[in-house]
Amino acid sequence: MSILSRSLLLALLSGAFTLPAWAAAPIQEPPVEEEVVEEPVLEEEELVEEEVTEEVVEEEPAEDPNSPYLAVIGGDVYTVTRGVILNGTVLCKDGRILKVGQDVAVPEGARTIQAHGMRVYPGLVAVESRGIIPGRGTDSVDSFDPFALYVDLALAGGLTTVQSRGTIGKLTRGTLEGHLLGTTSWVDVSYSSFSPSSRRSTRDSFEQAREYLRKLRSFELDKQLGKKDLKEPETKGVPMNHVALLKGERMARFRADTASDLLAVCELLEEFPMRAVIQGGREAWTLAPRIGRTGASMVLTPRAKDWADPELNRPSGWSIENARILWDSGVEFAILPGQAGISLGGLAGRDLLPLPMEVAFAIRGGLHQDAALRSITLDAARILGVADRIGSIEVGKDADLIITDGDLFDYRTFVQWAVVNGRLAYDKQKASYFAHIRPREEDEAPNPVEALLEDITDGVQDEVMEEEPVEVDAPEADGGR
Amino acid sequence: MFAAFLLSALPLVAPQGDEPTGQATVYRLDHIETLTGDALQNASIVVRDGVIERIGQSVIVPDHARVIDLRGTGSVAMPPFVLGQAQGLLPSDSRGTGGYGRYVAAGVHRADEDVMEDLREAGVLLVGLVPPGSGIPGRTSVIRSDASELAEDTLVHDLHLVMTLDMSKSSKDLLRKAFESAEEAIEKEEKARADWQKARKEWEEKQKAAAEEAKKQKEGEGKGGKAADEPKKGEDKEPPKEFQAPRIDPNIQPVVDLIRKERVVQVWIDSPGEWLHWLDVVGDREFAWELVLDHGNSTNLHEVADAIAAAGVRVYAPARIPNLPSTQLRTNLVAELLAAGVEKLVLLPTSTRSSRALESWRVGLGDLVREGLDRNAALRGVSVEPAQAMGQEELVAPLEAGGPATFVILEGDPLDPLARVSHLVAAGEVIYDRAKEEEN
Repeated sequence: MSILSRSLLLALLSGAFTLPAWAAAPIQEPPVEEEVVEEPVLEEEELVEEEVTEEVVEEEPAEDPNSPYLAVIGGDVYTVTRGVILNGTVLCKDGRILKVGQDVAVPEGARTIQAHGMRVYPGLVAVESRGIIPGRGTDSVDSFDPFALYVDLALAGGLTTVQSRGTIGKLTRGTLEGHLLGTTSWVDVSYSSFSPSSRRSTRDSFEQAREYLRKLRSFELDKQLGKKDLKEPETKGVPMNHVALLKGERMARFRADTASDLLAVCELLEEFPMRAVIQGGREAWTLAPRIGRTGASMVLTPRAKDWADPELNRPSGWSIENARILWDSGVEFAILPGQAGISLGGLAGRDLLPLPMEVAFAIRGGLHQDAALRSITLDAARILGVADRIGSIEVGKDADLIITDGDLFDYRTFVQWAVVNGRLAYDKQKASYFAHIRPREEDEAPNPVEALLEDITDGVQDEVMEEEPVEVDAPEADGGR
Repeated sequence: MFAAFLLSALPLVAPQGDEPTGQATVYRLDHIETLTGDALQNASIVVRDGVIERIGQSVIVPDHARVIDLRGTGSVAMPPFVLGQAQGLLPSDSRGTGGYGRYVAAGVHRADEDVMEDLREAGVLLVGLVPPGSGIPGRTSVIRSDASELAEDTLVHDLHLVMTLDMSKSSKDLLRKAFESAEEAIEKEEKARADWQKARKEWEEKQKAAAEEAKKQKEGEGKGGKAADEPKKGEDKEPPKEFQAPRIDPNIQPVVDLIRKERVVQVWIDSPGEWLHWLDVVGDREFAWELVLDHGNSTNLHEVADAIAAAGVRVYAPARIPNLPSTQLRTNLVAELLAAGVEKLVLLPTSTRSSRALESWRVGLGDLVREGLDRNAALRGVSVEPAQAMGQEELVAPLEAGGPATFVILEGDPLDPLARVSHLVAAGEVIYDRAKEEEN
């Protein structure tokens, strides 16, 4: 008994710290007993797992579906700003994050999500989207369909906030409440090398705006000095958008991919300092330090390719290291896939549904995982100007969370739950699209597809699975979405 | 038609004695769906003076009664079919879309006898007509399928107000503006009424004071006092004795009626999102409304089934089993609504563009029952429930003694679309008899 348990322990230890059990076992024991060692190990593991799940079930207090509290319990919490809290709990109240940590007491009656063994991230943010929310200013909420298929799909992809046509909208599935987060303050500035005339007119506009600001400044100074017969500088003909840019009230958005376009934007920003975001940036890696010095943010697509030009006497084309090089030069960026829409008929893998996969390519190119996570959470929120509300798991921020069954940047990982404003907006097990793929084991309710199959087989399966309480939930699941 | 009027009027004219007056007719049937809760096998209906005198398995046939024996043919009687909503079935007012303005009741220009015949052949007694268009296209009306003269076509001229809602700002704004204008009109009227009451009261008090003054002066004159002051002339114009309300824009009148709870609105939506937007438009307002679910072959309206049930409103739904969006998963929305607690449920055909499309009605009904809808609820949903919605419960009601003798007789199960209608009886009068029609 003692020998067996000691060898078992050794096998466990060696399996845990050095080699897998099957490789470690032959070293510890003669080959004949190999199987004997292996089987108890598996049983032991299973026993431990069962005990854990049973405990969890016992601990679970009665949940009040109308409780203002929502607790995501036991997951590894990726806060973005404060590292990772292992086995942490995120407690939310009234749509905001109330507490984050390992020793957070869960109030009685709180709605809970058991996230043991899972990861908790802030909800992902898409700086640009198409077809998920209607967009167009603050009126967006009047046209928003909170039950739309695309809202479901976006949540399944981990998104909880998207921007479309100037509207920053939350994916508040099933409710209109709290949908509108804000509007962008972007001013689109055309500064492409393809159109020298538009470049000239853009520069002229900034010159005019700067001239106006000079006059305004001297007028204000004179006013302070108490001079009389002052005339406020005329705003007629002055490009007020550009004035707002120079005053730092709004943010300029450029589109530039080639090194020459990027350089031109840098020169403009050096002459007229302002907050700016540059979308595209395929050759940005070739002049990363220069972009870094302008303080401009970027929106990158790591998989957007452009071949190098062999005739150029400088680095050119795309690089998988683009994001990493920009990060090292202090450039803040968000990542977007090649297509900003979501649809079941779109180009597989290139739209917003697998957004973390686009980021995974940047990680492959050397970008640190923390930076990668920021690019679709906090930094995306900063570019949208809503980082005070979303983008990280911090006390006081909106309770927008996703709970995944693995590393966000692993292709096997699924979003299991999405929480928006402290409300459960998505549950993989109840959404018909992915419920049948690697279903969660602890869930007793069968997914809709299985329920349908059971109906078709006319109860034959029910007899086989007598012990499981499948039949009880079958009608409910049948009506599930 | 005139005879029918006479017949139905007779019991009212006749002295209220126990002695029956008219001749009795007895329908002997294989099966009766009374829709009171019990179905009767091998039973009879005794009809006299437009009323069901007796109904049951063992009824005494009155003397001299005319007996129509349909036993052994698979005959089934039930209250007649009532088409809760029909758009485009009969040539009616055509209206533009996306606005409000005229709110005209839907009416028929011409009773198309072919369509009427098709309706009777399908066992349909009443048809609710809905004006075409979106926004606030107008008001509904009700016609009888045995109407022939244009003047008699419409049974109810002006029933519900119709509103449609799309998931767009313009659509929501249109409804919001209608409510706001109506509320302004009401406020204006209330203010005018208050002003009038005040003016009237002041004027009356002044009159009283003047009268007293005059009296005093008269007394004074009698004592030989000073001469009376000159009476005030025309300074105070008498306010009208009756309050004259400021004219309300006729375009907004139906919405005003709605807010005053004098009218019911039918709201057409086709998705759960539109349900939320409707609630958003309604806000804190309290008025009577009904919900028409206008979805096509796929919908996820079941997601708000509980909320719809909690609102406690009458629901019109198409008799079909839709798919969940972008899937092949079928959902028995009607059964779910019923299970959620919707009490007043009207089932509609999926299309009413032509009388041929009516065939889909019973096909869909059969599907719903096969996939879990309560049979009684399904049959009520195409007869007594829509009749109640039209306020016609005195004409169409569950079959019981003392109730109106209005029923349809089919040659088989009503849920079998191939079972033909053999008789349609309205208040005792046979308005369709397949055997006679085929003779002609």
